[in-house]
Amino acid sequence: MQFAFDDRQVEFRAQLRALAEKECTPADLRAAWESAPGWSADRWRALGDMGILAVTVPEAQGGLGLGFVDLVLLLEEAGRSGLPEPVVETVAVAAPLFAALGTDASGRWLEGIASGEVAVGVAAPPGAPEGPGGPVLVNAGGALLVLPSAGGALHVVETTGAGSAGLALEPKRSVDGARHLVEVGGEPPAETEVAAAGPGLELWRRACDRGAWGTAAVLLGVADRLVGFGAEHAKARVQFGKPIGSFQAVKHHLAGALVRLEFARPLVYAAAWALDEGDEEAPRLVSMAKSAASDAASVAASVALQVHGAIGYTWEHDLHLWMKRAWALGAAWGDAGWHRARLLGQISW
Amino acid sequence: MNVVVCVKQIPDPAAPQRLDPETKTLVREGKLILDDSDAYGVEMGLQLAEQAGGGEVTLVSMAPGGETSGLRTALAMGAAKAILVSDDALKGSDALATAKVLAKAIERAQPDLVIAATESTDGYTGTMPVQLAELLGLPSVTFAKKVSVGDGAVQVQRQTEAGYDEVQCPLPAVVTVTAGVVEPRYPSFKGIMAAKNKPVDQLTVAELGIDASQVGLAGAGQEVTEVEDAEARSGGQIVVDEGEGFQQVVQFLEQLKLV
Repeated sequence: MQFAFDDRQVEFRAQLRALAEKECTPADLRAAWESAPGWSADRWRALGDMGILAVTVPEAQGGLGLGFVDLVLLLEEAGRSGLPEPVVETVAVAAPLFAALGTDASGRWLEGIASGEVAVGVAAPPGAPEGPGGPVLVNAGGALLVLPSAGGALHVVETTGAGSAGLALEPKRSVDGARHLVEVGGEPPAETEVAAAGPGLELWRRACDRGAWGTAAVLLGVADRLVGFGAEHAKARVQFGKPIGSFQAVKHHLAGALVRLEFARPLVYAAAWALDEGDEEAPRLVSMAKSAASDAASVAASVALQVHGAIGYTWEHDLHLWMKRAWALGAAWGDAGWHRARLLGQISW
Repeated sequence: MNVVVCVKQIPDPAAPQRLDPETKTLVREGKLILDDSDAYGVEMGLQLAEQAGGGEVTLVSMAPGGETSGLRTALAMGAAKAILVSDDALKGSDALATAKVLAKAIERAQPDLVIAATESTDGYTGTMPVQLAELLGLPSVTFAKKVSVGDGAVQVQRQTEAGYDEVQCPLPAVVTVTAGVVEPRYPSFKGIMAAKNKPVDQLTVAELGIDASQVGLAGAGQEVTEVEDAEARSGGQIVVDEGEGFQQVVQFLEQLKLV
């Protein structure tokens, strides 16, 4: 049995890292904070050209027809590099949903995703059926919105089309400035319905699992970057004639954060496998993964901040760009507590 | 138009490098990667083949242990196939021996144009491409910052200290390109998947019809006799400016005969 990632999966990650090192620098992230959609259409196209957006799109629609085990290292890398684009919403949540719908329209949307023309936002408006999404979405700045309605039917709205006329999209501030949120008000019109109440609810539940899982994978990368920030500073900052990392009170903190991350990783990887296989354990593994990854990123953020001392609080230092991402994503698609409660509900003894 | 791009697979520059204490040559063990400076040549070759409306890019490389990791990266960018010369007899080859081997391999591909980097990132001799041109009996243009092809000739803007020269040269020819020539594309995931199945023709020295005594350490016309650590930089001199600091700066520059 093969438990390690194969050469191809590792090479995919290496290429995304190379792209992000050039196209998603801390300066680019600061620009994303200032820009209206919070992310860059040029970078979205570059991601599309490379093929990240096509990973879960079936081959018939121009995709790679790969699964979540192929995707997980890429999402982790997206977190490490701080990519503000809606990759989780589009690749992990929407593409498999559209593939399951199997309609002419969903085929066109999939082709748009694979070619990098379509970005997707996902929202759970107030009154939407169970799901941890909350009443906000990442502003996709473009084409499509996936919306469950209060009755349990699932809608896909083209934000520039007539279907969006009855919807009120109100911008909301996020603690993470590169994460531009919108609150959705109003009911989507009947013609945007893609699945009726029964099957729609089932599709929405699975979409929520993928959203929580994808966000957990991104959080691994965010935590990795934060531990890296802390470790780098601990080696460079000298006090009492020694790097501060040589003092136990500092290095044990960082080691503790790294252990949290290392323990969260296999849970996220196991959930990826379970989602690929349609395993009945998948929802349970997703909740374990999201609670562990949210906690790991939260611990990494506070340890990195403490190791940096006062400089970590400054706007000019890059630390806060990842720290706020950890806070925002930790709460998205169900926070650690929500997922622990769901897990408890699924365990019987 | 068929283009051959010479690519070198080198130890990852981000990892610490070691010299063999015996031969004083670079230790090339484990995974080798595509030399960054060759990515520009690969991109240039791909663009010229696309603009010509046909033809393909063939990679030619020499590396120990049948190493193909770096070649796969260039194949993933879009090159069609590769010729790899790998032979224990090549260990310790100097630039001229490398040129002899690559020339024999390039003859098999019958290209309209041969592209190489100005110099490699690990060896920095910068002499191999012109030796290659001489052995192939082809004209060569070096330091290209812009390349186009038309009417059976290659037009090159050749970087100079003052600006650039415009050079035209009949094909086939050998052109070395600088890092400014084009922006290399990132290999796409589809390209990475396709690269696995692209042909890599692996050849030995004997198969190329080269006498093993002409290459490797035995055939090297030069020998590294001694290696020393670079001198550590000294701390420099700190001048406290009390209104006349500029005079000391000017004096310093005068000493260096810079003003």
